[in-house]
Amino acid sequence: MSEPKPAIDTLPLKARASALDFYYGDFQALKKIDMPIYEKRVTALIGPSGCGKSTFLRCFNRMHDLYPGNRYVGEISLHPDNVNLLDKSVDPIEVRMRLSMVFQKPNPFPKTIFENVAYGLRVRGLNRRAVLEEKVEEALRAAALWNEVKDRLQDMAFNLSGGQQQRLCIARALATEPEILLFDEPTSALDPIATASIEELITELKQRVTILIVTHNMQQAARVSDFTAYMYIGELVEFGWTDDIFIKPKNPQTEAYITGRFG
Amino acid sequence: MPHSEHFSKQYDSDLEDVRSRVLQMGGVVEAQILAAIECFSTGDTERMAEVADNELCVNAYEVDIDDLCVHIVARRQPAARDLRLIMGVSKAVTDLERMGDEAEKITRMARLIHERKGPHVPLQAEVRRSGDLAVAQLRHALDAMARLDPDEAERIIREDALIDTEFRGILRQLITFMMEDPRTISTALEIIWVAKAIERIGDHAKNIAEQVIYIVRGTDVRHVGKDRRQGAAGEGH
Amino acid sequence: MARKDIGEIRGIIARAKRFDMIFGVVGVLALGLGLLTFVTLFVDMALDGYTRLTPDFFTEFPSRRAERAGILSAWVGTTLVMLVTACVAVPLGVAAGIYLEEYAPRNWVTDIIEINITNLAGVPSIIYGLLALGLFIYEFGLGQSILTAGLTLALLILPVVIVATREAIRSIPSHIREGAYALGATKWQVVQHHILPYSMGGIMTGVIIGMARAIGETAPIITIGALTFIAFLPPSPVTTAFPFVSFEWLNSPFTVMPIQIFNWTSRPDPNFHANAAAAGFILVLMTLAMNGLAIWLRYRIRRNIKW
Repeated sequence: MSEPKPAIDTLPLKARASALDFYYGDFQALKKIDMPIYEKRVTALIGPSGCGKSTFLRCFNRMHDLYPGNRYVGEISLHPDNVNLLDKSVDPIEVRMRLSMVFQKPNPFPKTIFENVAYGLRVRGLNRRAVLEEKVEEALRAAALWNEVKDRLQDMAFNLSGGQQQRLCIARALATEPEILLFDEPTSALDPIATASIEELITELKQRVTILIVTHNMQQAARVSDFTAYMYIGELVEFGWTDDIFIKPKNPQTEAYITGRFG
Repeated sequence: MPHSEHFSKQYDSDLEDVRSRVLQMGGVVEAQILAAIECFSTGDTERMAEVADNELCVNAYEVDIDDLCVHIVARRQPAARDLRLIMGVSKAVTDLERMGDEAEKITRMARLIHERKGPHVPLQAEVRRSGDLAVAQLRHALDAMARLDPDEAERIIREDALIDTEFRGILRQLITFMMEDPRTISTALEIIWVAKAIERIGDHAKNIAEQVIYIVRGTDVRHVGKDRRQGAAGEGH
Repeated sequence: MARKDIGEIRGIIARAKRFDMIFGVVGVLALGLGLLTFVTLFVDMALDGYTRLTPDFFTEFPSRRAERAGILSAWVGTTLVMLVTACVAVPLGVAAGIYLEEYAPRNWVTDIIEINITNLAGVPSIIYGLLALGLFIYEFGLGQSILTAGLTLALLILPVVIVATREAIRSIPSHIREGAYALGATKWQVVQHHILPYSMGGIMTGVIIGMARAIGETAPIITIGALTFIAFLPPSPVTTAFPFVSFEWLNSPFTVMPIQIFNWTSRPDPNFHANAAAAGFILVLMTLAMNGLAIWLRYRIRRNIKW
């Protein structure tokens, strides 16, 4: 854009992956990933199927711990307290309290709209009705859903449309005031209009929270993100400003993927 | 733009940015041309220096706006009217930059003419008139671009013929002068360059109008008139 | 395509459709045969026994006189035994199911346990009776009581409850589970707030189907010695004095519906056969009612669970 981009090393850092390897049993899914995540910016992960972008994303909130046989090597440090999220001594529950995730298929719980958004707060011990109501409203407003559901908070969540369900899931993730919001292909199950409204929401949300988004639609990455990382077979091929990646990528592999010359 | 908004406010804002920068650039170029023609009449050297300086500003606008267009294409993959707008603006900006060059050329010729301090400069009034016509065309073209008015654009395309006629008239008179008094040849040649530059400015204004039609209607009307004329001439054989 | 090919294709389709029709007919016949058998037996039983279906039938104890013999002790006994069965089988079965699905590590030990549980469901019920005789009556000295019967039947239907719980839990899609974990819930919180509520429909269905089977089990009850001529009721669970609840009934001798039916059928006096038919009719109705309840419950709970 015509406003000059700030120099990359002056940007505040929210997290950094360092020499990250990941193994599903014996299979190495991620190889020596080194990547910064800048604060209050949208970083997109793109690449062909199987390149490891979802695997990488799920390392951040230790989702791999839920299944046996997975192993992390390396570090993901979270700022400002510089704690290594992958360390065995760090409780994954604690990590998940600090980072929230929105999944590919909208997955509201079979509960009421209110209870869905409030669940994360209940898990943190907040049970007083007045406090919950206030925080639920705030989260629903931030997810641009409040006006559509304010009169039917006690309705079951599965009665909402696909796009609304996904925004509900975003509200649920926002209610706990996460430090990083992780999006795993959030619009791949939605129609174009719902997709556009979620993309617009993400652009607004980055003012309040750092966002890391995996997408198989690279045009979405071009529209929505500040930084883009291109991954291929478990490795980070190139990382940079989205403008640079899409206008003049440095690595010929990146160029080949972006221009659709393979994959 | 007379159509509804995109989901992305940033996208709308970027397109608006492009539009307003083009109009700003047009304003600067218009001022440049008027100043250049002033210099031709008065020989004001300060004015000439100003025009030379502002030329850099015009060039900066071109680079800037093209960069903005590339970014929009990379980020938004525009379609239909948005795509035609970006393509049309990009070409119009080239025409505006060339107009700036022509204005600068006029200024240079003006300096040469006035430095010679020779006999009275002929055809000042005619040149001035064709210059006013050209500036008017530019102004109308920018107007048509601002309002995306294809009818106005068509009028501009038709009226370009007037400037061409004026130029041929000036040329004939200057040839007469040169034949009558060979001492006026240098000055006359310089005046021809000025008149030619003005005629080119008119053509560039016409090009901008053609882009407006392309943006609004999607039809490419460049070279249509010329092809028809050439075809007719061919059939005359 | 040439017309010849279309004709060929049409011939092939016609032949294939013939098999469709044949199977349809066979299916209807098979279904009809089964239904017809059941309906015939049921109607036959109803016809044999309708003379006895008076309100007195339900409030009279068995007696040497057929016309005066009723099923009071039998259906009270059945109810109390079922109560004990449910109270034992449900918590044990559900907890075991949750543990196996959510907490147990996936190794060969767990696999062996899984195989054995499914096998237990197929063990002949008389074996459970022998187990109860040896363990509950001789080893623990619980006597020939409602408690023993309840425990025995609970063991019998335990595999059914465990399997039903596991199936219900497995039907919860992983993205719902992951959504809960991603919000920072611990394993028990996920079980308490999500797994249990969402699988309750399946669990309830499994429990009721298990109970519907238990209600008719005769062999184990005979083995542990349910009496056949009980002219008294077990002590009431609710008393007039503090603490208003008594557990003496657990130690009481008892009888159940299947036993009573068996007893009446084996009497030479043909009048008792009518009683047996009537009691059988009631028992079948009870079983059908329980299954109906299971279906209705499943429908109600499933309505609010969608993913």
